Amino acid sequence: MAVALDTSAAPPAKTAETMSISPGLRSASPVLILLGLGFLAPLITVAAYAFAAPKSFDVFRSFTLENFAAIFDPQNTVWTSFVWSLIFAFLTVVLLAVIAYPIAYGMNRMFGKWAGFVSVLFVFPLFVSENVRLYGWVLFFIKNGVLDGALKWLGFAGGPEVLYTPGAILFGMLYVYLPFMLFPMSLGIAMIPRDLVDAARDLGASRLMIWREVELPLAMPGILIGMLLTFVLGAGAVAESKILGGQSIITIAQDIEVAFTYAQNWPLGSALALILVAIVSGLALYVLSKLDLDRILGRR
Amino acid sequence: MNISRRNFMQVMGAAALAGPLGSAGRALAAGRDKELNILCWEGYNSAQVLDPFRADKGATVKAESLTNDPTMINRLRAGETKIWDLINVNNPWARKIMAPAGLIKPLPKDEFEPFFDTMLPEFKAPYRWAMSDDGKDLLGMAQRFGPYSFVVNTDKISRATAEEQGWNLFNDASLAGKYGIQESDDWNVFNIFMIAGINPFKTHTEDEFKLFSETAEKVFKGAKMIGDIATMNQALVSGEIDFQMTGGTYSVSPARADGYLNLRAITPLKGPIDGKGGISWIEITSTVNNPNLSPLATDFLKYVQAPDVAHTVAFAEGTFNPVAQMGNKKCFDLFTKDELDAIQWDSLEEEMARSAEYDIVPDYDKALELMTAAKRLRG
Repeated sequence: MAVALDTSAAPPAKTAETMSISPGLRSASPVLILLGLGFLAPLITVAAYAFAAPKSFDVFRSFTLENFAAIFDPQNTVWTSFVWSLIFAFLTVVLLAVIAYPIAYGMNRMFGKWAGFVSVLFVFPLFVSENVRLYGWVLFFIKNGVLDGALKWLGFAGGPEVLYTPGAILFGMLYVYLPFMLFPMSLGIAMIPRDLVDAARDLGASRLMIWREVELPLAMPGILIGMLLTFVLGAGAVAESKILGGQSIITIAQDIEVAFTYAQNWPLGSALALILVAIVSGLALYVLSKLDLDRILGRR
Repeated sequence: MNISRRNFMQVMGAAALAGPLGSAGRALAAGRDKELNILCWEGYNSAQVLDPFRADKGATVKAESLTNDPTMINRLRAGETKIWDLINVNNPWARKIMAPAGLIKPLPKDEFEPFFDTMLPEFKAPYRWAMSDDGKDLLGMAQRFGPYSFVVNTDKISRATAEEQGWNLFNDASLAGKYGIQESDDWNVFNIFMIAGINPFKTHTEDEFKLFSETAEKVFKGAKMIGDIATMNQALVSGEIDFQMTGGTYSVSPARADGYLNLRAITPLKGPIDGKGGISWIEITSTVNNPNLSPLATDFLKYVQAPDVAHTVAFAEGTFNPVAQMGNKKCFDLFTKDELDAIQWDSLEEEMARSAEYDIVPDYDKALELMTAAKRLRG
């Protein structure tokens, strides 16, 4: 390694072997090995399991499409889990975009010295486990819990029955994934030069026009990254439907979990996971390809 | 070695490689007499149980807890017999699956059989679930057990009504939305069969599967929620639900220990398993067929037989359960009245008598598939 870093001290007559590997590659090799082992290897294993004989551990030793055939069998209703997961991920993205934009805008333009404090407020919950936070909301919404109990104490009839419904799942997802939309969006908005906004205003653009023609396009990279991040996370969400939703809908992540645990069908679980990866990355790439990044980035 | 900016990466790389290799080398050199790995249900992995053993033996004891048997068995099947020394699962697996598959090895009978003599009467040697099919080998040790059917809030449904009605409570359309389902899918398969009036532990006909499927759809549709044990107890305490399956001493004891004695595990008076309406479980802990089995494995099995440790196991964190060692007066006397109330000692014997013992469902895969499909119809 020391040799790799200290190229100037290397003798002029290099062997063919050392010539072929650039110092940069050699220096990067620890990271490459780490990524290969920690990131690629598990993915390849999952992909290989997806083609292994059902209910077996014959990974890399058998090849079959049976797992996929079982999933695409018209009798199999697992597609509903895919649909639910994608619907909830989509709703989460749309609603979070609307919710997070004003907050991100405020953090950059309006909160002034309080902006840092507001950021901390949004970051802070991330230090607590997602499950613990969701159980906290259960205590808030449950019958005779914080909300219901407080309303009854104040003389009202009691809180609404929201727990264990699909609405509660959506609420949980909005709550959990808000920071993942907010911070990229906030970075995007921070990229808007104030001069451009001022210039547009001087030239007579209305507030709405400035937002639509200047601010939104310039903030788009951040917004898109936030949307992508929340969509990917949302599509794989399971804790919200389990803890807040009482499994009122079954997400695809849960079907994968059941395949790996109670069903002990790792190949089926891997095939489901692989399909989910394909759908999510396919959708993400499709959306990105439809958007003209150059135009969005204003480099026309 | 001097660490400079130039050789920093080199030193770090060397350290990263030397660390694990170095300790692996030491472990190989020393054998495994200071190391024990346990795959178990929660409780055996608690510090209360493990710390005295660690201190006494000066050993590194690792325990991983999982909450379903199939996953644990398949960890061994996937090649982890090299890792684990002890496996703690429910009764049928040792005798019917793990021993025939060569995943566990027998215990020395002369050393371990005498322990069964001090256990509760039903565990006297040769205890069926601890023995191999041919009755020759001792495959494991018994400790925690309990009836596991469903739980009711007796303020809403009396114990007498629940026992009399049994699984039909879940067939009652007027009670839809008033019960929860604990997410133990293997046990839920048993329960759906029971609600449908079918013995789960046999091979099923097409008609029986049709009835199973219809019952699963109805029962899952009518459930207020599906969740873990904590969710079930919380919902029972708060009044969100009046009863829940799968549940028993194992799941409701923490709530009872907190003073909610109105929540009670119920074993139906009658049912489809040769007249029995309940299902019970008994844990069997076996030594894994590890090519390099730690000698501490058998030491640990003996250690948990001691009256005080058995009591600690019964009331380890998580769930509270009766233990077979309560047959020994020295162990039984360690239980306070509140602890006995928490595990429903008053009715334990009759409930176990009314329960069939957990067994393998021959066509479990198909049943689970139908039940998973039924669950999806909730949305």
